[in-house]
Amino acid sequence: MKKLYLILCLLIFNIVLSQDYYVYVAAESDDQVSVLKFDGKEIIETDRVSVGIMPTENEGPHGITVDPNGKYWYLSLAHGSPNGSVVKYSTENNEPLSKVELGLFPATMQISKTTGLLYVVNFNLHGLMKTSTVSVVDPEYMVEITKIKTGVMPHGSRMSPDGNLHYSVAMMSGELFEIDAVDLSVKRILSLDNDTHHRNAMHHSKLKPTWVTPSPSGHELYIAANGSDNIYIVDTEKWKVKEVYKTGKGPYNIAVSPDGEKLITTLKNEGAVTIWSLKNRKQISRIKTTTSIPHGVVVSPDNKYAFVSVEGVGGESGKVDVINLEQLKLVASAEVGKQAGGIAFWKIAD
Amino acid sequence: MKKYIFKLILSTFLFSSIYLNSQEFTVTSNLENLKIEVGEIFEPITNVLDKDGNKVECPNIIYYNKNGALNWDEGISVNRRRGTIKGEVPGQHKIIALCVGLPVGRVSRDFDVTVNYAKPKELQVNLSRETVYTGTYVPLQYKVVDAYGFTRFDADIKISSDNDLVEIDNLNNVKAVKPGNARLKVELDGISTSLSFNIKETPISKLSINADMDVARTGDVVKFTTTAYDSKGNKVADAPINYSFSGDSFDKSTTAAGLIKDDGRFVAETAGKYLITVTAGEKSISKPLVVYDRGIQREVVTVGAGTVQDKHTSDFWVFEGQDGNDYAVSGTWGADGTTYFWDVTDPANLKKIDSVQVDARTVNDVKVSADGKISIISREGASNRRNGIVILDTTNPYDVEILSEYTTNLTGGVHNLFIYEDHVYALSNGERFYVINIEDPKNPYEVGMFEIGEKGQAIHDVWIEDGIAYSSNWKHGVYMIDVGNGIAGGSPSNPVAMANYSYESGAHHATFPFKSKSTDKFYTILGDEIFPQGIDVYTTNETAGFLHFVDFTDINNPVEVARYELPGHGSHNYWIEDDVLYVAMYTGGVRIVDISGELMGDLFRQGREIGHINTANPNGYIPNAAMTWGAQLYKGHVFYSDHNGGIGSSKVLPTKPDNSRINEYLDRPRLID
Repeated sequence: MKKLYLILCLLIFNIVLSQDYYVYVAAESDDQVSVLKFDGKEIIETDRVSVGIMPTENEGPHGITVDPNGKYWYLSLAHGSPNGSVVKYSTENNEPLSKVELGLFPATMQISKTTGLLYVVNFNLHGLMKTSTVSVVDPEYMVEITKIKTGVMPHGSRMSPDGNLHYSVAMMSGELFEIDAVDLSVKRILSLDNDTHHRNAMHHSKLKPTWVTPSPSGHELYIAANGSDNIYIVDTEKWKVKEVYKTGKGPYNIAVSPDGEKLITTLKNEGAVTIWSLKNRKQISRIKTTTSIPHGVVVSPDNKYAFVSVEGVGGESGKVDVINLEQLKLVASAEVGKQAGGIAFWKIAD
Repeated sequence: MKKYIFKLILSTFLFSSIYLNSQEFTVTSNLENLKIEVGEIFEPITNVLDKDGNKVECPNIIYYNKNGALNWDEGISVNRRRGTIKGEVPGQHKIIALCVGLPVGRVSRDFDVTVNYAKPKELQVNLSRETVYTGTYVPLQYKVVDAYGFTRFDADIKISSDNDLVEIDNLNNVKAVKPGNARLKVELDGISTSLSFNIKETPISKLSINADMDVARTGDVVKFTTTAYDSKGNKVADAPINYSFSGDSFDKSTTAAGLIKDDGRFVAETAGKYLITVTAGEKSISKPLVVYDRGIQREVVTVGAGTVQDKHTSDFWVFEGQDGNDYAVSGTWGADGTTYFWDVTDPANLKKIDSVQVDARTVNDVKVSADGKISIISREGASNRRNGIVILDTTNPYDVEILSEYTTNLTGGVHNLFIYEDHVYALSNGERFYVINIEDPKNPYEVGMFEIGEKGQAIHDVWIEDGIAYSSNWKHGVYMIDVGNGIAGGSPSNPVAMANYSYESGAHHATFPFKSKSTDKFYTILGDEIFPQGIDVYTTNETAGFLHFVDFTDINNPVEVARYELPGHGSHNYWIEDDVLYVAMYTGGVRIVDISGELMGDLFRQGREIGHINTANPNGYIPNAAMTWGAQLYKGHVFYSDHNGGIGSSKVLPTKPDNSRINEYLDRPRLID
């Protein structure tokens, strides 16, 4: 009986250990998307999907997100003629299903679990200094329902945990936007350079915020101030900046572990990632990435791993680095296409 | 293979009917079969019912208007704050009622909503030709405008007559059969108008037809002229003339084919015996024409190859260096920002002599100054996202040096560029081009900018000749811009648009100006870029599109007159010299095409192809797969770049003596001697 119990325990232990983690990552300069599997030790590329329409034009896949039900993934293509688009793919076979044209350089995006709608920032990274928009797309029909005007170069499209609110930051005008995900209008604006609540659309921000993500409780927002090397923490109730933390150079993307304990930031200009304890409000680790220009980061739902996309330079391959958030060390890395950027967690599978 | 288009069509089908996420719920609404007027505001009442028919409280309902599965539609606007919809444009539309916030997720349904056409307000009918003779069809023109000012194209007009001077068929064709004062009644949806006109007994008793040649080659435009006479031998100036043709091909495996225009110009696509017939009312006359093969095919031989094995190749340029030798520069695509320099003095021995690497993934375009001293290259995919251009010193192509980079307003990526009289014309973010002064190439500075100023403006290429920039703008077509020619008072710092031509497909990606030596006509040749199946990762990509020949002799009235379309292969970049076109047809290699003489109709089918070059390279990055990027005639050799293989050179051989006597009646100048 004891032997049987032992065998059963080992079997369960083995099953727990054999969990596989899947992520999607977009390679912006190769017009490719990689599907990666991490088994706890090694990360391997299981599929590489060529994306876009024109083989001789670089259409720049930038943002990527997976539907909450895991059946579809959505990819923003930055460039078109001239507007970019979002393409819907099946996770079953990674085949394209439908496409919708949006604004200039559509970038990051997320689906609200409340509305089921997809909110995409039209980054307009290289356009003239003018206010851009957040496109709201019905992903069932792949139709753009409306464009909501926000700030100059909006980025970092993230939903509140309850799915009722959408957050984005305008990189050049330094503004934080809160959109009501249901009535599709801007509810609140926070000018981050001077912590004021009014529009500052043509202000040239020194902070250059590039990312915003809410805490799991929804009470705080974490903002990467790429231009000032800081993380700004905003109190969502008071709609005020409550804390500012110095990071390394060029904080770009942020992810918070689902348990709310750790905040992971990519430092684009340092080739590193920092990990902060949100409980103790201090940096607990700084980890060099395997190549230069770390870009995006996602955390597995079990809080164990952070997956970091790293762009590289020139003809260098992009990378996906895996960081063990318990051991606080880099444990695996895989090569993907050039200029790896947008990254999305898909699933944990046995 | 990514059957992308198929997928989209499939999606359209799947989503074209009622769609509910959850079978547990149904959506009902007073939107069902709704008909509203233009300008009418309607408040929808929508309910979500569970499987037992009980009403479920929907936290929020979002309405939006779509057209098919893929497009937003402006036919109905939605006021989300008030929860109302408003009719904007007449027609059939779809409104989606989307309930969000239910625990089961979204529930939606689409409803057909009709915005009624307003009653016709204005019904205009007139004649496109003044005189109507018996035996001819009455040249009617209609225009219907409704009460809201919309022009209607689906109007079901009824035409009737109260006498027997005309015959009206069920397609509203009206034939004049008897002389007299005819009156037509035209009706539509409760309003009517009338048109009175006089039908004259046809005076035409005789026709004569002449042609500027009796024997022609395929592709030759033969001009037929017709004169109508009355019974007294007087000319009838306003005779309604219609041309048609019939014929038999010499080759029994094909058929006679060609094109005849209303003004009597005819061009044959296949050799054979033709009969050109002209009718005027019930009189007709015919004239035979013999057409022989154009007979211009030449042997083209491969001379040299400059292989690029480890990356895709992009654009190239061949130039004479300061030392009098010949050189080429070629870019690379989706790689590491390398540009290669070649010694091509011996076209049979293309030597890679230097390279420059910049912070980019793609160097899509390269150009060289007229004196060979300066090269400019474009950057896309720079690691710091500041792309721009790089200016190189190519005084010694064996030792190329970077002089400067310029990124202001060009960070979004420069896809194409041009160098002309100490200025660089560089595309920015696919939206506009900037003009940069490089008189001091180490200190370039911006002097001008041009954009077409249209909603959704997009640019793909710019080419400059004689102080005129030819800007290729996808759906907005080509813009001719004075940047120093003086015709419109423009300069590099003040580009002035002076002409524009666009076409339906919206696939316009490149332009080459062409002054025909043989006819003195001025054309712009507009190329498409189309990948109908998107990206095929397992084999060569399917390409499509063709060259549009637009007669711009009168720049205010451009007319598209001809096309070069190679079946199964799409167009990319091209070059023209001495009435010969050298066009890179992607998977179809380089095609060498005779574009001498008047151009009309389908040039490929007229047998105008002189020869072709298979640019596939067995040692290339993708071996044996032609993807020809561009072509350039240089000192008697045809140079080309191939996306999959590198660069190469070929030679069009002289004409072999024609001893067949098959074209003994023809006396035409030789091409490419």
